[in-house]
Amino acid sequence: MALPLRYHWLSLFARKTTTLLTILVIAAVVGVFGWMMGFHAALRDSLSVAGDSRKLIVIKRGSTAESNSAVSPEEFNRLHQLSDVQVDPETGERLISPEMLVQVSLPRLRDGGATFANVAVRGVTKSAFKVHQNVSFAGNRTLGSREVIVGRAAAEQFGGLEIGETINLGHGGIRPYEITGYFSADGGPMESEIWGDLHSLMNSYNRSRYSSASLRLGDGADAKSVLERIEGPAIQLTGATETDYWDGQAKWIRIYIGIAGGLVAVMSLAAVFSIANTMYSMVAGRTREVAMLRTIGYSGGQVLWGFVIESVLLSLIGGVLGCLACGAWLSLVGNTKDMFGATTFTTLAFKISMNWRIVLASLILVSVVGVCGALLPAVRAARLEIVAALREP
Amino acid sequence: MSAADIELREVRKSYYKDRLEIPVLQGLDLEIEAGEYVALMGPSGSGKSTLLHLLAGLDRPDGGSVRVGEAHLESMSERERTRWRSRHIGFVFQMYYLVPVLTAQQNVELPLLLFRMSSAERRERVGTALDVVGLTDRADHRPNQLSGGEEQRVAIARAIVTDPDVILADEPTGDLDAKTSSEILDLLQLLNSEFGKTIVIVTHDQRAADRARRLLHLDKGVFERDEARQASSAS
Amino acid sequence: MTLGYILMQNLRRNPSRTALTVVAFALPMAIFVAAISCVVALKEIGESNAKQLRLAVHDKTTLTNGLPERKRREIEALDPDRKRLRAVCGMRWFGGRVPDEQNTLTSLAADVDTFPVVYSDAGMTETDVEAWERERRACVVGRAIAEQYEWSVGDRVELHSTVPPYLALEFRVVKIMTNPSVANYFFFRRGYLEESLKEAGSENPICNVFWVKCHSVEDLRWLQVEIDRLFAGTSEATKTEDESVFKSRFTQAMGDLPGLMEAMAVVVVVIIALVAGNTMMMSFRERTRELAVFKAIGFASGRIFAIVLGESVLLSLMGALIGIVPTAAILLVFPVRRLNYGPISSLEVSSDAIIASFAIALTVGLVSGLWPAIQSLRLQTTDALRRVA
Repeated sequence: MALPLRYHWLSLFARKTTTLLTILVIAAVVGVFGWMMGFHAALRDSLSVAGDSRKLIVIKRGSTAESNSAVSPEEFNRLHQLSDVQVDPETGERLISPEMLVQVSLPRLRDGGATFANVAVRGVTKSAFKVHQNVSFAGNRTLGSREVIVGRAAAEQFGGLEIGETINLGHGGIRPYEITGYFSADGGPMESEIWGDLHSLMNSYNRSRYSSASLRLGDGADAKSVLERIEGPAIQLTGATETDYWDGQAKWIRIYIGIAGGLVAVMSLAAVFSIANTMYSMVAGRTREVAMLRTIGYSGGQVLWGFVIESVLLSLIGGVLGCLACGAWLSLVGNTKDMFGATTFTTLAFKISMNWRIVLASLILVSVVGVCGALLPAVRAARLEIVAALREP
Repeated sequence: MSAADIELREVRKSYYKDRLEIPVLQGLDLEIEAGEYVALMGPSGSGKSTLLHLLAGLDRPDGGSVRVGEAHLESMSERERTRWRSRHIGFVFQMYYLVPVLTAQQNVELPLLLFRMSSAERRERVGTALDVVGLTDRADHRPNQLSGGEEQRVAIARAIVTDPDVILADEPTGDLDAKTSSEILDLLQLLNSEFGKTIVIVTHDQRAADRARRLLHLDKGVFERDEARQASSAS
Repeated sequence: MTLGYILMQNLRRNPSRTALTVVAFALPMAIFVAAISCVVALKEIGESNAKQLRLAVHDKTTLTNGLPERKRREIEALDPDRKRLRAVCGMRWFGGRVPDEQNTLTSLAADVDTFPVVYSDAGMTETDVEAWERERRACVVGRAIAEQYEWSVGDRVELHSTVPPYLALEFRVVKIMTNPSVANYFFFRRGYLEESLKEAGSENPICNVFWVKCHSVEDLRWLQVEIDRLFAGTSEATKTEDESVFKSRFTQAMGDLPGLMEAMAVVVVVIIALVAGNTMMMSFRERTRELAVFKAIGFASGRIFAIVLGESVLLSLMGALIGIVPTAAILLVFPVRRLNYGPISSLEVSSDAIIASFAIALTVGLVSGLWPAIQSLRLQTTDALRRVA
C-alpha cells in the first residue's frame, strides 16, 4: 500500500451522497446477516449443549419424540437388565431416569401474551439430576409433590413463571403447582422446560405410563451396542443418544436457517453489484486523478489496490453500521425467540445475541463483498490509458 | 542536484482511430543536453504532447530509440518505466491535477510515498519544495482554497520534490492569466538556472516559449525550426 | 426523436452502470416477490379462515390433553336451536406418517357427520360427501401432501401413527383438497380411529380440538365466551380461540417465518430504493451539463423533468422485470409446498403479489428519480454550463 489511508477515506467522502447510499445498502444487508448469524449461533449453542453422547434417550417404538412416547413401568423395568449403565456410587443404583413429558400453554412475554407457546413439563425423580449432568439446581433435588422448578430460558420468555407464583397443571389445569426455584442447563434445551415430581404429575394427568427414560452410559460402554440391546427382543424399546435425538429435532430450524441464509446470499450479491456500480462511478469520476498518479510514478497495481482499499473501507463502514443496527434492534425490539423441535411439539427458547464472532463474520463477509464489488472497476482504473486520459478535455 | 541529457533517434509513433493509422511522429531526431531549457511549439496535432509523453515514458515509440539519461525507454517494460519515472521525471500538467481532498502539503508528498523514506525526511523535503515555490504559508490549504497560480505552484512543488533529472511541463500556463503565467515561468526558469534541471515545456504561449533557451517548432511530426536563443529572462 | 428514444440512449450510454443497477435491483426484487407472495397468501388464508367462522375449543393447559367426546354434545347444548352455532366437529390428532418417512403429517380424525359442514373450505361436492360418508376408511387429503406422495383419488394409502398406541391404519383417498388453507392437512373419520383403538385395547374416545362453526362474527364472540364459561373450574376446563389465534401458535413455533418474510420485504424495499437512488444521483451528476444544454436549446423544464424521472422509472421497471419474472416462474414450477414446511407451504405466487411487486418497483423508481428531477428544474443553465462535470 503506497497511498495513505487518509487519501482513500477523504476521497470516499468527496462524493457524500453516493458513498452514503452505498453504505446504507451494505448496512441493511449486514444487519440482516448479523441477525441470522445470531439466530444460528444461539440455536447451535443450545443444541450442542444438549448433545451429550453418553446419555441415551429411550422411547417407545413407533413414536418420534418423548412427547408422543408412552413407556409402561414394566417396559421401563426391563431397562435394568442393561449392564452398561453407569452406577450411582452413592446409592448403588443404575442411573436410569424415568420421565414423563406433558405440555403447558404459556403466554410469550415478547408479544405481551398475544401468542402462546407449548412449554414442556417434565416429571422427574431425583435420579434425573444425575443423568442430566448439565442441569444444575441449587435447591432440594427431591421435589415436593406440589412444587415445580423452571428452566431459566423458560422463565425469561414465558409468562407466569416467577418464583412463588403457581402454575395450573394436570387435566383441565386444576392442580396448582408452586414454582420454587430456577434451574439452568448450560443453555441447552432443558432450560426451556418445567420440572416437577414424576409421580405427582402422573397422578395429575391420570397417567400410568412414563413417556421416556434417560440413562447414562457406563465408562467404556458402546452406545451403539446398548441401543441394539434396547431395540432387541428382551426390551423392545427404541432410543438414541442425546446428540442424535436433538439433531433429528433440528429440522424446522435447518429449513428456516436455509431460507434465511438464501435470502442473505441474494442480498449480499445485490450489495456486490451496488458497490461495483459505485466504484465504477468513482473510477470514472477520477480518471484524471488516476492519470496523474500514474504519471508521477504510481504503478497500475498500486492504483488497483487503492480502489480495492477504498471499496473495502466503504464496505466496512457499512458493516459496522449494520452490526450496530442489528445490536440496537436486538436490544430494543427483542432478542428472544422460540421454535418447535421437529416432532416434540414443545418449544425451545433461546436468545439471539451479537458477539464478537458474529461481528467478525459480518466484517469478513462485508470485506469479501467489498473486494468483489471493487475488482472490475479497479482493474479498469489500473488499465487506464494514461496518455488518452491526459488528453481528455 | 542532477540533470540528464536526452537523445531521440528515428522516433516514429502513430495512433489508430477505427483501424485508421494516423502517423504523428515520423522519424524524429532530437538531442537535448543536460541542463537545457527547451520549449516545444506547434499547432495542435503536431505531436508535441506525444513527444512529451514519450519522454516521460508514458508511452513507447513504434520505432526508433528514446534515451533519457541512462534509461533506454524503448526497451523498458511498463513496470520498469513507471519505476524509472517516479525517480527521474517531474511532470507538470496544464490543469494542475491536484487531488482535491488533500492539502497542498499532502499533494506534494504523494510522489515521496513511493520511496522508502522516513516521515521526517518526507516532511523536510516537502518543506523544501514548498519553500522553492514560495508556498510555505499555504501548506495546509486544500486546492479549492488556492488560486490557479498557487495550484500550479503546488503542482510544480510536487514535480520537484523527488529531485528529478528532467522536468516536463505540458502547457503549464495554458489556464492562467498573464501575470500568474509570468510567475510560473519565473519559477521554471529558476529551476533551470539555479538547480540545473533539464526542462522541456510544451506551450502555445509565445511568452512562455521566449523564456526557453532553445525553441523547437514541430509541425506534422517533424521539426520545422530549431532556434537557439538568448533566454530573455524576466530580470 | 421522442422522449422514449432519449431515455433508451441515456441507458445505453453507460451500459455497465445500467446493467449493474438493474441486477442490483433485480436480486432484492426477487426476494421481494417471494416474500410478498408469502404475506399475500397468508393474508388470503387468514381471510378465508375468518370467513369460515370457526372456533377451536381445546384443553386449557395444552392441546395434547384430550377432551372427552361427549363435550361435543355439551357444546351443542349451549344453542339447542342452532341459532348461533351451525355445527361442531371433534378432531383427534393421529400424527400419522407414511411408513419409512420422517415427516409427521398433520393428520386428524374428524367427526364424520359434521366435517363437510365445518370444513367447507375442503370444497367437498355432494359426491365427495357421499363417498366420505359411505366408506369407513375414507380420507380427504390436501394437495401439498397428495403431490408429495403422488396420491390421487381412489388410492389406498397407509399411515403409521406416532402417538400411543402407534396404530397402523389404511385409508382410501376420496378427495384431494386444493384450497391453500387446507393444502397440508389429512382428514379421516374419527369413528374409524376409535374403533381401531378399541380393537387395540385402548378405548378412550377423546378429541384434541372441537371446531365450532358459527353463523356470524357476533355468534362467534358470544360462543367463545360461553364455551369457556361452561367448563371453567371443572377438570376439563377449555380454552376457546378463533382460528387465526389458534394457528399462530404453530407459525410462531416454527420460527415465525411470515414475520421474517415481512421484515425481509421491508429491508428489500429500503435496499432497492437506495440502489436506484444512488444510480440516479450518479447519472444526474454526470449529466448536469448535458441537461443544461437541453435547457439552453429550448427544452421545456417539464420535458427535462420527465427525462430524469423517466430514466429512473425505466431502470426500476427493468430491474423488477428481471427479478420478478424468473422468481415467479420458478415458484410456479417448483411450488414451495413441496418442502412440506408448514408456515410457507402456503406460499404461492399470485397475480396480487406480482402486481404488488411491480407497484413497489414503480414507486421506488418514482421516488428515487424525484430528487434529481427536482434538481434539474432548479438547474441554472449558465451555472451548469460553466461547471466542470
